[in-house]
Amino acid sequence: MLVFATVGSTRFDALVEATISETVLSTLRDSGYDRLILQRGNSVIESEEFNEENCTIQRYGVGIEIWRFKPSIQAECEQADLVISHAGSGTILDVLRLGKPLIVVPNPTLLDNHQEELASALQILGHLKATSIQDLASTIASFEPRNLVPFPPFDGTKFSKLVDEEMGFI
Amino acid sequence: MSNCATIVLSLLLFFCVRLFFVIFSSRRVRLAPENPRPPRTCSIAIFLGSGGHTSEALKLASALDFGRYSPRTYIVSEGDAFSAQKALALEHIKATYHVFSDDQPQYKLLTIPRARRVHQSLLSTPPDAVRSLLACMYLVSVRPLFKKGAFREPFVDLLILNGPGTCVILCAAILLNRIIGLPSPRVMYVESFARVKSLSLSGKLLYQFTDRFVVQWPDLVKPGGREIYCGCLV
Repeated sequence: MLVFATVGSTRFDALVEATISETVLSTLRDSGYDRLILQRGNSVIESEEFNEENCTIQRYGVGIEIWRFKPSIQAECEQADLVISHAGSGTILDVLRLGKPLIVVPNPTLLDNHQEELASALQILGHLKATSIQDLASTIASFEPRNLVPFPPFDGTKFSKLVDEEMGFI
Repeated sequence: MSNCATIVLSLLLFFCVRLFFVIFSSRRVRLAPENPRPPRTCSIAIFLGSGGHTSEALKLASALDFGRYSPRTYIVSEGDAFSAQKALALEHIKATYHVFSDDQPQYKLLTIPRARRVHQSLLSTPPDAVRSLLACMYLVSVRPLFKKGAFREPFVDLLILNGPGTCVILCAAILLNRIIGLPSPRVMYVESFARVKSLSLSGKLLYQFTDRFVVQWPDLVKPGGREIYCGCLV
């Protein structure tokens, strides 16, 4: 099974480091995930070898592919059995609309941290699991994708009705 | 000297009274015009802030009937190639579903200077904000005056904003229009899906000055407030 981890266009060193740490990788392996694709964006990894544009390695029983950016991450999300992501609203919406199990880690170093609010609001509604860097491994171990509540599909009629009302069409 | 003071004071009073009326009237629900003729269209402008703001704004735009909301103007900040590209992509997708009635271009892209760049020092912000305001005033006040056959028509019928920074300047230009009594578009602000418990700075600043203020999370609805909530719109 494949895990896709993404930080979008941001820099989130702690999440990238945690994803390739021994604890998280062995938890992933024990939960049946044998492949990890990691999109690191502008994040920097401590060990030099991983900071190339692209890099492929085998670590703690997981085949890892690391790269910085691709024009679209749609294909990776579609292939993945689990997505681990920063709590950016765009990424969250995209992943949830694809119906993929999602674990988000809000970036605690952001100043005005409303990522945390969005993540916990969506967790309360049951659409995803929010966690922290420290608890990532244990969250993966106890994660039950079947218990997630599907996120409603995009419904354009709500906004078009609002605008039609505003402009006097209805 | 006292004459001078009187003039300044009366101008100030005029502005305050106008501002009051402008805010008051934007709080009123405007009634739908009677019997809108069927093939009526409505011109629309959508401000594309950057990154996530652009994605949300275009998602909102994609919900609209492009046959009805035409022509469309996408307003992007200087140097924001991402937003321009995404707007063109949306138009392209919509064009494959729609057969538009004539060959007229149905949309255009307009660029305005940024009010403040990310990481820009606060000292150099005011001149850039002024430059941005002047460009916005030209767009919403001056240009429509010289448009052929469209005397006393606003630059568009409806303007949709969702932040950040530069959209406040755009709204300020429209407010000035209203104070002077020039025709102005209806302004609709849609707070980002990312704001769950508190409004963004743009949202707070524009709260009183928009005709419609839309939020996407129930916690943002204040009792007696003017915001509208009807779930996630993006």
